[in-house]
Amino acid sequence: MSLPMPVPTTARQPLWYKDAVIYQLHVKTFADSNGDGIGDFRGLSSKLNYLADLGVTCLWLLPMYPSPFRDDGYDIADYYSIHPSYGTLDDFREFLEAAHTRRLQVVTELVLNHTSDQHTWFKEARMSRNNPRRDWYVWSDTDDKYRGVRIIFIDTERSNWAWAPESKAYYWHRFFSHQPDLNYDNPAVREEMWNVMRFWLGLGVDGFRVDAVPYLIEREGTSCENLPETHDVVKFLRANLAEHFPDRMLLADANQPPELVRPYFSEGDEFHMAFHFPLMTRMFMAVRLEDRKPLVEVIERTPEIPETCQWGIFLRNHDELTLEMVSDVERAYMIDEYARDPASRIYLGIRRRLAPLLDGDRRRIELMNGLLMSMPGSPIIYYGDEIGMGDNIYLGDRNGVRTPMQWNGGWNAGFSTADPERLAQPQISNHQFCYQARKGESQTRADHSLLNWMRRLISVRQSTAVFSRGTTTFLMPANHRVLAYLRSLGREQVLCVYNLSNSAQAVELDLQSLAGAVPIEMFGRSLFPRIGELPYMLTLEPYAFFWFRLRRL
Amino acid sequence: MVSVASDSLLSDELLHHLMAVGHVDVLVGVPTLNNASTIRSVVKAVHQSFARYFPRDRTVLINSDGGSDDGTPNMVRQHGSTDDTDTVTVSHSLRTVHRISTPYHGVPGKGNALRQIMTAAELTQARAVAILNADVTGITAEGIAALVRPVRDQQYDYVAPVYQRHPLDGPLVTQLIRPLMRAAYGWQVREPVAPEFGCSSRFITHCLEQDVWDTELGRVGIDLWVTGEALARGFRSCQAGLTPHPPGPPRASFGELFEQVVRSSFDCLERHAPYWLERNGSEPMAVVSPPPPTPVEPPTVAGSRLTEAFARDIENLRSVLEYILSAETLSTLERVASRQGAHLRFPDELWVSTVYEFLLAYRSGVMRRDHVVQALAPLYLGRTGSFLRQYSGAPEEVVEEALESLCRDFERSKPDLIERWNKSLR
Repeated sequence: MSLPMPVPTTARQPLWYKDAVIYQLHVKTFADSNGDGIGDFRGLSSKLNYLADLGVTCLWLLPMYPSPFRDDGYDIADYYSIHPSYGTLDDFREFLEAAHTRRLQVVTELVLNHTSDQHTWFKEARMSRNNPRRDWYVWSDTDDKYRGVRIIFIDTERSNWAWAPESKAYYWHRFFSHQPDLNYDNPAVREEMWNVMRFWLGLGVDGFRVDAVPYLIEREGTSCENLPETHDVVKFLRANLAEHFPDRMLLADANQPPELVRPYFSEGDEFHMAFHFPLMTRMFMAVRLEDRKPLVEVIERTPEIPETCQWGIFLRNHDELTLEMVSDVERAYMIDEYARDPASRIYLGIRRRLAPLLDGDRRRIELMNGLLMSMPGSPIIYYGDEIGMGDNIYLGDRNGVRTPMQWNGGWNAGFSTADPERLAQPQISNHQFCYQARKGESQTRADHSLLNWMRRLISVRQSTAVFSRGTTTFLMPANHRVLAYLRSLGREQVLCVYNLSNSAQAVELDLQSLAGAVPIEMFGRSLFPRIGELPYMLTLEPYAFFWFRLRRL
Repeated sequence: MVSVASDSLLSDELLHHLMAVGHVDVLVGVPTLNNASTIRSVVKAVHQSFARYFPRDRTVLINSDGGSDDGTPNMVRQHGSTDDTDTVTVSHSLRTVHRISTPYHGVPGKGNALRQIMTAAELTQARAVAILNADVTGITAEGIAALVRPVRDQQYDYVAPVYQRHPLDGPLVTQLIRPLMRAAYGWQVREPVAPEFGCSSRFITHCLEQDVWDTELGRVGIDLWVTGEALARGFRSCQAGLTPHPPGPPRASFGELFEQVVRSSFDCLERHAPYWLERNGSEPMAVVSPPPPTPVEPPTVAGSRLTEAFARDIENLRSVLEYILSAETLSTLERVASRQGAHLRFPDELWVSTVYEFLLAYRSGVMRRDHVVQALAPLYLGRTGSFLRQYSGAPEEVVEEALESLCRDFERSKPDLIERWNKSLR
């Protein structure tokens, strides 16, 4: 396949992803330009100023490829074009150019592990055992192989094998049965995936969020997850990337404990970034427990990563709040506290957005975002969470957190001019979270809206590299309801203090090693008393937090 | 009502710790005095209990120390946390587990330690509290959970322990305290002298409001008083099974221990007379979790030695006993004591009359109270020796039935005790 013409791009800073604030969105539900009820690239392009004003620096787009949409686009039927509902390749090029003009990088999805069963490759492969594409997928005459490997979608799948009657064999699928796994033992598959990457990188895409990384390779007698050969595949793709597009980024989707994700950074020659799933769960747990222990534990358990690498940290995303990798006790606690309504549970997680999880409580929403923006890693905001959008847990699968963006008080909340019944997903009509209550444009005008508060938060975070690149040292005051840590980078130091509880708290911090420094509160730029030899006393309102820049004045 | 959780009971340092702890769901209190040989196992069990059974709860361990010079407080402070205790790798507390070791002030004794722990429990609004005995090594995570759960989950106010032990073991309890307390309070509590128990915040608030703390009873007999107070004031009570605890080295001579326990039981009965004078018979107390089955060995005490001491001492004490006992009881006792060796039998009815008459004498002040109690000791030895000889080698169920029979005899004679008690008031 010939490479397309690249779009002009702003010069990418080295390690730009380490300083990024990423915004995750679904083209389908962000903005509809042609009134068909489905979002598209032209619509998205028209909202880029909103995103630039928010202060984010990178957009991560959910799958935008042709797909039967049985898994919201993660079932790709063609890796080389745009889903017709979203526009054309030219529309995408125009969007990319407009984003780059606004200094917004763009990261797209790379679904490596599987295709749709509607992809030509699979249609050919399943027809006969002699088809040249046959070995692009994983086949077996029986469904006995890899016995004991866990099933991920336990609510819908009974086996990791599915029957292909045309050629009378079973094919392997770790996700839905309509998503056959590609066979990465076949070098042709690896080569083809590099071709896919090269196609989009050639267009100017800044990186990929690589889906379902741990499952690429299967071996008998193993869990078929995180196998050494999987790392060989990643190294192959990364080596090609380094050679041809050295300033681009790969982000690993590996829902695993940090110690098992660490190998995906390897020596800096696999992924540039990886999601930190347990940190997300622990943030929710800490706030509900009113206890810093879960957070301190998970950060202290997180291994060091190479200098060129970064964690991707988030509060919510397009999937359920996953509880796969927590203990039974932790899972039961999270379910009891955050998912009392059984309809909000799916697989081993909770299908809710940030604001409903926190009962719409502005103080807790701010606290959680404050944590997100100051913890080690590049923060990722899920579209709509910056205005406190709600969800609809009754829409099936995880569609309830993928409803149209609420722009204004107009027709379909400004998302589309289509008849409401044609919308890709229905708007949220819940009284507390409907578009009349939560909408972007009016929040833009209101000084104290959540949106403007988020803008300020991001702007303060981006005012220093200490949050994105600094080290983290926990202070352990006696009061466990207070989380305090020091972020340090060179001579720069920021002290972060959070009250995780619903009651006012006093805390004494041992800051002797910082004696002489003057804390300057970073939002209001207020001076606080100079740090001395005695414990430094602070009082915090419920769910309040401080970020102090420490200066020697 | 003004709370008596007086801040003056708490040092600034302890108050500081409690501020950091905040409200708690489960508080475990451990009074100590030179418990270096056993405290590690107790603290370990507490942490295991928090991790296994209360992983979601806000928890704190408070050690109230009476001035140990063997490093006990440091052992509490420096004990590995839940998560680095090798035996607790599967379970895990979701929350910070607080651990405080603090000295208490005032007269040494368990009462002051308990008062300090209860005050801390009240300030932290603990939903459920367990008090443990630091003298033993057999306390387990399960045992602690057994004391806490009925309070936390079933709204009980007081939980007394039940130990799996041989019915010939612990004769001071089985021959004297258990039947006496059962007959008086009307509740069938197996271990009324409970160095370990569970209780609710409601019960703690009540206890702190009582004027017992600065008395002799508060100093040395607080375990018994707590049981009596729960029963007498109508707090919802139950029993929970614990594994047997191998006792540590004895802290007092038999004489000292006997005097403390008997004085405490008599003092309790005096304080709670308005309650028990109105009650007849007894009711079983719910056992919410039976003790785990454990093989138990009968004690090796030679009954003959005890009866010999009884026969010898009753002669010497005659002049004292004349003031305490009725002529009928005294003469029967002398007749019993005159029988030598295997023929000496101390019948239940005689033992009941003896105990009740000692109680009446203690109350009426015929002589110094400590002399009354000391005079009961040889009679107790005689009764115990007689019982041990009679039932040594008997099946456990036979011994249990004999003990039950003794309790019923105490109950049957209670109307006579009440009558004489009331008469002595007039």
